[in-house]
Amino acid sequence: MAQLIAKLFPSTVLRPMEIGADASILLAVLAVVYILTRYRKWGWLWREWITTVDHKKIGIMYLIAAIVMLFRGGVDALMLRTQLALPNGHFLGPEHYNEIFTTHGTIMVFFMAMPFIFALFNIAIPLMIGARDVAFPKLNAISFWLFAFAALLFNMSFVVGGSPNAGWTAYPPLTELHFNPGVGENYYLIALQITGIGSIATGINFLVTILRMRAKGMSLMKMPLFAWSALVTSSLVIFAFPALTIALALTMLDRLFGSTFFTIAHGGMPMMYVNLFWIWGHPEVYILALPAFGIFSEVVATFSRKRLFGYAAMVGSLVAITLLSYGVWVHHFFTMGAGAAVNAFFGISTMLIAIPTGVKIFNWIFTMWGGRIKTTVAMLWQLAFIPTFVVGGATGVMLAVVPGDYQFHNSYFLIAHFHNVLIGGVVFGLFSGLYYWWPKMFGYMLNERQGKWAFWFFVIGFWVTFFPQYLLGLKGMTRRIYTYPHGMGWTLLNLISTVGAYAMGIGFIILVYSVVYSWRHQERDLTGDPWDGRTLEWSLPSPAPEYNFAVLPEVTERDAWWEMKQAGKTGRIPAKDVHSIHMPRNTPMPFLLGLSFFVAGLGAVFSWWYVAVAGMMGVFIILVSGWFDYHDHHEIPAEEIRRNEAALGRLEG
Amino acid sequence: MTQVQRPPAISAPTGRGDEVEIAILAPRFEEHAFPWRQIFGYAASLILTMAALLLVVHHVLPPVGLIVAILALATIQASLQLGLFMHLRESLGSTWHVVTLALAIVVALGIVIFSIWIMSFKSGVS
Repeated sequence: MAQLIAKLFPSTVLRPMEIGADASILLAVLAVVYILTRYRKWGWLWREWITTVDHKKIGIMYLIAAIVMLFRGGVDALMLRTQLALPNGHFLGPEHYNEIFTTHGTIMVFFMAMPFIFALFNIAIPLMIGARDVAFPKLNAISFWLFAFAALLFNMSFVVGGSPNAGWTAYPPLTELHFNPGVGENYYLIALQITGIGSIATGINFLVTILRMRAKGMSLMKMPLFAWSALVTSSLVIFAFPALTIALALTMLDRLFGSTFFTIAHGGMPMMYVNLFWIWGHPEVYILALPAFGIFSEVVATFSRKRLFGYAAMVGSLVAITLLSYGVWVHHFFTMGAGAAVNAFFGISTMLIAIPTGVKIFNWIFTMWGGRIKTTVAMLWQLAFIPTFVVGGATGVMLAVVPGDYQFHNSYFLIAHFHNVLIGGVVFGLFSGLYYWWPKMFGYMLNERQGKWAFWFFVIGFWVTFFPQYLLGLKGMTRRIYTYPHGMGWTLLNLISTVGAYAMGIGFIILVYSVVYSWRHQERDLTGDPWDGRTLEWSLPSPAPEYNFAVLPEVTERDAWWEMKQAGKTGRIPAKDVHSIHMPRNTPMPFLLGLSFFVAGLGAVFSWWYVAVAGMMGVFIILVSGWFDYHDHHEIPAEEIRRNEAALGRLEG
Repeated sequence: MTQVQRPPAISAPTGRGDEVEIAILAPRFEEHAFPWRQIFGYAASLILTMAALLLVVHHVLPPVGLIVAILALATIQASLQLGLFMHLRESLGSTWHVVTLALAIVVALGIVIFSIWIMSFKSGVS
């Protein structure tokens, strides 16, 4: 018993900061339970959200989870910056610092950026291509719940059992059981494995949805560019994630079952882990960046009130980036010393990616050229993205120069570079998409004035945080050090960087405040087309009804909705064209499947094999019963759709 | 071999007012009275995996022979799974199969060949 308690609550989870976090989590949970009970919302939560298979609601759930995770990852970041603000900091101990930078990176990549992107896919893609749902709605819900329970499992680590502490890359020998006892790394391995299953399923789902469910007449070259970016991103997910699955599975076998794949003392190859990790890891960078490129392509065309410049070149460069991104992974470990030929090959292939990316930058600029630009918040993020991403891309090319990389490698120059592309490219893009599609999701506008405050705090904060880090890297400060002495010349730059980080935190708080404020006070979007949009999602009411399109649209041109508006073909729907629609029926199966994986994962983390086996039995039973569930449709009668559309003022007569 | 009745496919309304439109991807695949083919594929995959494991655990062959043997077993298993589980033969249009298979082969071969190249560094630098 004492042994069990020592395993569940080692000293690393009993530090004052962790206890404080425990208390606030407990209070938050109690508040949610109280509100749900007080207002009798449990049934609503179960029927409308937990069991839903509607892509729009799944998208909203992904979004909420991503924002919560952005908060957690952001608090981690502020703790790191607080520790580094001044020399000889005592805010975090060395072990604590390792844990925090590990969870910061892991959460931001797997549990913030990925779900945020899947949120926007879910919300926008089916509406954009004129579909009524994704190809496999139940699988879509399964993906979400696997992600959600994996996120829960990962986030539990710092409360129960101890955080992972080997960095978000989890290289051996740092992860070897011999050097890293305790369950922290098990949490990392198992949680990522579970969310990875969900990610691959999402990749398959959107690949099939986009290839098979486009509206009549929407050929591939008439698709909105965001749909193109989702298509190539899906193919990247499908081909890249299996390498991560293998890398994590082999590490798990090493830790839990005594194999020695990566144990050098027994003939293992730790470098093979690094190789496998980055075979996934580099395409992953583009899994995050390409959807942001897609969002910007929609936003820039809408708010420049012009069609996108160079559509075919944009599609071509997306495909080129996709193919090239499979062939550059060694640039993450040039210093491993794989030889001049290997490093030269991967250095050059890395530089090649700058070409299609440059093509895209020019096309966005030429789209704005001569346009009537409206500087909405969504457009501001786009305007901030272009210079930021150009700097991030240029420092990336500097890192691709192999001899230079031997100097820059694992210094703060690298840290500054990848935050420059991942925040300047991905997060700016996600915020742009958030503001752009918010009215479509929730039916109300976000306050623009507050949005601009959040924007300026975040963007200026970003530059104040990360520009000094380039200089710190050049002055020799390496990553993952928890403190530094006086007299290195790093103090002022570190202090400035920390100030910037807090400014970004303020930007985030303003954004969250703005969401709550706008929900209470901001105008409703009654037209469904608040931005005078160009693509099909703006032809629908906000939020879109369950069935999306009462009558499926027919597409003749690129920017279909814009062309319909120009041709005056936006009239009301004739009642005779409305038919009954088979919609997928809500099911608790995805939620229960996620729960079973959670139980199995928890069992594996603590090597409680009876719990793990029970969880996997649950998985098996739920899958089999799911296969024989023939009542997975319900029909919305044509009459109900006509009534609904008439209430929205969209039915003829 | 029985062809199950297909649910109505996604189609533009004809205006008669009696059809139901389906919101998800209409499933289109062959279904048999009993899934012999799939069960064979599953059992064969298990046997092939066990065979590879036993070969390596008991060092039945010298190292080079072992690598050739398990690569051969892996290739057989991959083609078996593609043929039996991936609905390769049931497609309505094969264009996307060709594209995705070509990409899969390029990526798989690329990962294997490049990894061997990258990992041979121990002989390259010393």
